[in-house]
Parts: sequence; C-alpha cells; structure tokens
Amino acid sequence: MLAIEVERLRKQFKVQKNREGLKGALLDLFKREYTEVTAVKDISFRIPQGEICGYIGENGAGKSTTIKMLTGILVPTSGKILVNGYVPYKDRETFVQGIGVVFGQRSQLWWDIGVIESFRLLRKVYRVDERDFKRRLDELVETLQLGDLLNRPVRKLSLGQRMRCELVAALLHNPSILFLDEPTIGLDIVVKTEIREFLKRLNREHGTTILLTTHDLQDIEALCSRVIMLDDGNIIYDGSLEELKSRWSKGREVQFQFSDPVSLQALSALTAGQGVRWTKENEMTAKVWIPREMNVSDVLSRVVGAMEISDIKIFETNTDEIVREIYRTGGSEKTAEAENGEALPAMAGADSRD
Amino acid sequence: MKIGYTLSLFREYLANYIKTKMTYRADFWVEVVSDLMFSAMNLVFIFVVFQHTPSLGDWSQAEVVFVYGYFMIPYGIFGAFVNLWNFSERYIVKGEMDRVLTRPAGSLSQVLLENVDPPSLIGSLVGLGIMGAAWARLGLPLDWYDPLVLIVMVAGSVLIYMGIYIALAAISFYSDAPTGIVPLMFNIQNYGRYPIQIYNKGIRFLLTWVLPFAFVGVYPAAFFLERHHHLLMAWLTPVMGAIFAAIGLAVWNHGVKRYRGAGS
Amino acid sequence: MISAYVDFIRIRFLTMLAYRVNYYSGIVIYAINIGAYYFMWKAIYGDAEQLGGFTAGQMTTYVAVSWMARAFYFNNLDREISNDIRDGSVAVQMTRPYSYIMVKMMQGFGEGLFRLLLFMAPGMVVVTLIFPIELPTDPVLWMIFLVMIWFSFLINSQINVMTGLFAFFVENNEGLMRMKRVTVDLLSGVVVPIAFFPGWASEVLKWLPFQAITYLPGSVFTGRIAGSAVWEALLVQAAWFVALIAPIALMWRAARKRLFVQGG
Repeated sequence: MLAIEVERLRKQFKVQKNREGLKGALLDLFKREYTEVTAVKDISFRIPQGEICGYIGENGAGKSTTIKMLTGILVPTSGKILVNGYVPYKDRETFVQGIGVVFGQRSQLWWDIGVIESFRLLRKVYRVDERDFKRRLDELVETLQLGDLLNRPVRKLSLGQRMRCELVAALLHNPSILFLDEPTIGLDIVVKTEIREFLKRLNREHGTTILLTTHDLQDIEALCSRVIMLDDGNIIYDGSLEELKSRWSKGREVQFQFSDPVSLQALSALTAGQGVRWTKENEMTAKVWIPREMNVSDVLSRVVGAMEISDIKIFETNTDEIVREIYRTGGSEKTAEAENGEALPAMAGADSRD
Repeated sequence: MKIGYTLSLFREYLANYIKTKMTYRADFWVEVVSDLMFSAMNLVFIFVVFQHTPSLGDWSQAEVVFVYGYFMIPYGIFGAFVNLWNFSERYIVKGEMDRVLTRPAGSLSQVLLENVDPPSLIGSLVGLGIMGAAWARLGLPLDWYDPLVLIVMVAGSVLIYMGIYIALAAISFYSDAPTGIVPLMFNIQNYGRYPIQIYNKGIRFLLTWVLPFAFVGVYPAAFFLERHHHLLMAWLTPVMGAIFAAIGLAVWNHGVKRYRGAGS
Repeated sequence: MISAYVDFIRIRFLTMLAYRVNYYSGIVIYAINIGAYYFMWKAIYGDAEQLGGFTAGQMTTYVAVSWMARAFYFNNLDREISNDIRDGSVAVQMTRPYSYIMVKMMQGFGEGLFRLLLFMAPGMVVVTLIFPIELPTDPVLWMIFLVMIWFSFLINSQINVMTGLFAFFVENNEGLMRMKRVTVDLLSGVVVPIAFFPGWASEVLKWLPFQAITYLPGSVFTGRIAGSAVWEALLVQAAWFVALIAPIALMWRAARKRLFVQGG
C-alpha cells in the first residue's frame, strides 16, 4: 500500500516585489507589485509504506513547500496528493491524527515547563488513551534515554536533548508516517548518530514511513533506501542511493606509494588495454583512475605483481561530490569530464532556511 | 463532542499555564498589579476630570464609574480567554502557525488555549466590586432579574470583544508584514465607556456599529441606570455580540484558508 | 562609525514603510483618538471658560499636539530588547563593534522619524482643518517644540531601554512592560494634563521624569508656558536625559557581567 501519492503537484505563491531605495519604498506604500513564483512545479512521486525516503535539494528548491503540502498546512495550487489515504488539506483535523511532524528549527514543546507536561498535553490533543500513552512514552524514553530529562524545562535542555524530546512529542500518538524537516540541523555527530539509529529502529519495529528533508547527506546515507532530489521545483532524481551513486559516480581512484621512483610510461604500459588513466603526483607517488564498471582488483593485480609498493589508498567518490555534481550540471546529463575538488558552492548552509 | 473535547483541552492548557506561572511567581504578581493599575489609571482619569466638572454630558461621576465597573467585567473575561497581542509576531513571523496546523484540533481554539491568561479575571471581580459600590451610591433598586440580565449583557459584550480582536489578529494572515494595529486599537476601546452623546455623529456611529465598543460599556450598563435607561440599545448587546463573534470567526477562517494558500 | 548608526535609522525607516496596513490604520486610529478626546474635553468643559489653567481652545490644541508628539516618541524598544535577551541574540549583538543600546536608540529614532514625517505631518494638517486648533505663529516656538519632542523621544526611549534590560535580571518582564506602558501614558500627561491633577499629585509628578515626555512640550506648544519658563522646561528635559544615562550604564554593566558569568 502507498503511504504517499503525489501527482502533478504544483504550488504557486504571490510574492511582493520590494522596490529599491526610499523612493521605491514610498511607491510601495501606495501601490504594490507582485510576482508569481512557482515553488513546486508539477512533481509526481509515490512512497510505499515502510520506506525511509530522503528529500533533498538546495535552499529554495521547494522542499519545505512540499512538506507543508504533504502535512496539510498548505493547499496546493493544482495536482493530487494522497497521504495515508487522506487528502491532507481537506479533512485536516482527522488526517493529522495519523502523522507526526518535526520541524528541526521550531519547537513544539512548552518553553518554561517540564517536558513531561508538554507530552501530557499532547496526549490530550491527540486523544491518546492513558494506557497506550504510558506504554508508548516508556518505550520512547527508554530508547532515547530521556529518563532524567523529563522534568526539566525545555529552556534548560541542550539542542540535542531538545531534539530527542521533539521526536517523542511527534511520536506519542503512534503515527504511521513521520515527516522530519531538517531533524539533525545544528546537532553534534554523537547526537546525529543516535537520532539516526533511533529512526532506523522506529522504521524496523513499527514500520513507520519516514520522509525527511536534510542538508546532511550522511543522514541520507545512514537512513534512506530512496532519495528524491529537487531542484528549482522539479524532481531531478528519484531512486535508490546505490543507483544514484552508480549513475553519477565518476569511478574510483587508487593512489600508490612506490618504494622506488617510477615513470608514467612504465605504469601505463602495465595496464595497457584496461582503459585506466595514470597521473603522477611526485617521484614515487602515482594515481590511477578506474572507471566505475571495472574491478579495482584487476588493476591492482597487474601493478602489485610488477612494482614494489609501500602504501595503497582507494578513493571512492562520495555522495557529497556526486550531489554537488548533479546540481552543477542540472542533473539531466552526466559529464564524465568533471574534475573533483573544484570550487563549487557548498550545499549545506546550516543556518539558512528553505 | 467537539465542544467537550475543546473543554477537556482547556483544562490541560490551564494546568500548563499554572505550572508556567509557578516558575515565574514574582512576575505573576507584577502582571496582576499592572492589570489593576491599568484600571486604576482609567479611574484616576474619571476622578480627575470630575474634580473640574460636575457632569459629563448629563452623567454624574457615580454613573460614569458605574459604567466603568461594568466594562471591567467583560473586559477581564475577554482578556483571560483571548490574549492575542502577540499573535502576528509569534504565529506568523516565527511560523508557529505551521505547528498549530499539524495538530488535530481547531486552529483558533488551539491558539486561544495556548495563550490563556486567567489573572485577567481578577479585573472582572474588581469591576463587579466597583459596579456594586456605584450601585449603592446611586441608590439604584435591585430587581430579581438584574443579575440574570447582567450575565446576558456581559456575555454579549465579551462576544463583541472576541469578535473584534479575533478579526484584527486574523489580519496578520492577509498582510505580509507584522501588524501593530492591535495595540493602536487599545485606545479606541476606551471611548465606549463614556456617555455616547458627548461625541459627534461620526464617532457615535463608529462606536455603535463599526467598532461597537459602546456595547462593552455605556449601552448595556445603562440598562441598570434608570435615568439613562434605553431598552433597545441595551438589548442589542447580545445581538451585536452574536453578529460580531460570527464576523470574527468568519474572518479567522477565511484568513487561515488564505494562509494555507487555498484561493484568496 | 557614525554612518553605521545613521544606516540603522535608514533601515528602520524603510522597514516601517513596508508595513502598509500599519500605516493606513495608524493614521485612521490616531485621528479617531484625537477626535474622541476632543469631544470628551468639550463635554468636560461644558460652558466653562477655563479649567486647570487651560482654555478650551488650548485644551484642544494640547490634545492634538500631545497625540502627535506621542506618535513620534512612542516605540517598542522595551519589547525588542527583552526579546533579544530572551532568545539570546543580544550575545551576538555584543560581539559587534557598536554599542547595542545606541543601535536600539537609532532604530527607535528611525521609527519615530517615519511617524513624524508620514503620520504626524499629514495628520496635523488634517486635524487643523477639522478641529479649532490654535497653532503658534512664532517660528522660534516651533523650533523649540521640535527640540523638546526630541528630548521626549530620548527620555521615553531611555525608560523603554531600562524596562527592556530588566529581562536580564528577571525571567520574564512582561508584567513590568505592561506596568510601564500604563504609567507612562497616565503620568506623562497624554490622557490628562498634569495641571488637572489635585495639587499634591501634580507636585509629586513634577519630580518624576514622565512629565518631561508629553506635558512639558505640550504646554510650551499651547503657550501655557511662555517666556523664560520655556527655557526652564527645556532644562528640566535635558536634566532628566542626563540623569537617566547613569542607571542605564549601570544596568548594562551588570547585565554584561551576568551574561559572562552565566554564559547567556
């Protein structure tokens, strides 16, 4: 069964134009100008139950707008959405009973009082039975190790502690779909790992469908079986992480540290006919580029037999680079020529919002 | 069913309110005192003015004070349940409205419940006291139906206030900039507490039909003041209450629809 | 450095321009306020020629001018500062190479300037046409009045800054801010000129900074204070401005210490 079904979904906003300078501002006071912006452009995708799907894209790509439509906050301009069998923006109050939402940058907890009080209140809001609530809370508190935090006010919690509490708050009513908007933003590695482990376990044990947006591709690598990549309101990739890697990866590189000085000709001669490319780093170090479809061991066996080697390093193109590359090329065609390590704009802007 | 659910939520939110306030105990009292000072300031105004004149229109000091006492009752109740001064800043600019919309309860009831402010009710009690004192001073008779009429009038006045301020808060849904209208409105509400005939036609019309603050003061209170008895205007209070509450609700719902981008 | 501060004024001015709804509603509401008080004072005066040393004409002018002055000096610096403190952004501000309080004052000034030029100036023209207001003809008096409302702005902002800075020392200063708003409106003379208070009260009020905000400039503008007394009034304002610098500096020092010790 499908958890989320989206067809030709579109969202347009009217954005006020601000004219420049004092004169412009005065003009704006009397007559405003607007421009129409299409944040999401006719996208379609389906997410089956029990999947963890990563929803990625640069700032302003339309991620948050999509999440807001899927959670019933925004009404789409056109297109079809079905989440959990409901049209989110229609029976909002019934629909949200079955979903959990965490906005990484906003709290849903009472700032000044013990966390447990917020949980109790949410129990009432979601009409969770007292017994179910207790069982569920105990389970969550145990897995997230919140025991001694429950009576502390939110303002006295660290960001990591708070985020764990936010997760509990979103899960108390046992939703079958969990939406996470930047769940690991601003957290340290230890907390990030904890949260990832928790989400995996939640998915495994309860079959919860999870859709998360993130700027941290390690979240995706650790969690997601599926990635949807958005650029300027369009889906530019939808598929497994593995496929993403194999389709866009530019192969691997192996760096050899030799015991004696070597020449490029000698190395090229060794691997003649294999379609690999050698580059020399210095007298005793050289790198070989191996295309994706070839086995690294085939190349290694030829070199290891002929030369004396003191060290070998294998470089796999990582997801960060792949994703950066896709954005750079617009995603439609892949360019094999592209070099690593070029000055590209960094993806993750930890403090900027969508 | 739905009302029962909202009422049960009210209890929970109230409990959280009390727990919050317990952590800021000193502040709680400052708030109560400042509420009372606000009323005291208006009374001071009345007393100072009547030092220089025997009557306002043809209303005596005790009568004006009586109206003020009446006003404090619905105002206190309104303040306890509709505390939307920060709405634009907190829910629209900081985006908490999104969270509200992901919860299975009505958006308006959630926003109102999250901001309950019970100490405001102390003002109502003080108002009742002031009204009582003025009642005795004026030597007004107390009929058996007076308390019942008072309840109906107060309910109507509270609804008018709720309707106006909910509609004003909902303006934030339409305007993309934070609005400072609500604090400005604060001054206008004062004028409904003075004898309406002192104003010119324009302001009288405004206070009666457009921003009907006169129904949260002089019209309903006059029911009890024999000298200024005006049955029609007094009994319009609950009617206006129903109309303005409906308007407030409609503006809110339309605003939420617009916020979510459904038509405009 | 100076140009940076000027830029804060400019940016706040432009920000205010962006709030269109506020602008239009502000004009309407200020006009209603002046109108309502005009009629109220008319009723208070009745047939009386002079009350509390004000002729009816002077009173009308006083009401109009004090509301217009309020448009200039009024700001929400207290709320802004306490929000900055509560959400911790004040710590970021402290790392910048400028004085936080100066920046806030500049922003308040940008806001005031906006209202002075776009509210007060057109508003004054409209009000002069509708109500019988006697404007002074002496250009020197206008200059003095401008200087005086500049001091009004400074003193009122200083009080706001102090109220806001209290957020460093108490967990929640909401009640305190409300109390301040009420106190300033009553004791500064916007609602009732200080001369109307009973003798002992106006004697006490003369020793508080609030009268320097509205009552003194209003009195000078209406010609109730004339001759050398004008310079005295100006001196009182200047003295209060200087006197209030010390407590702010002390509070700021204590606040910084607290911030360093507690880590925000």
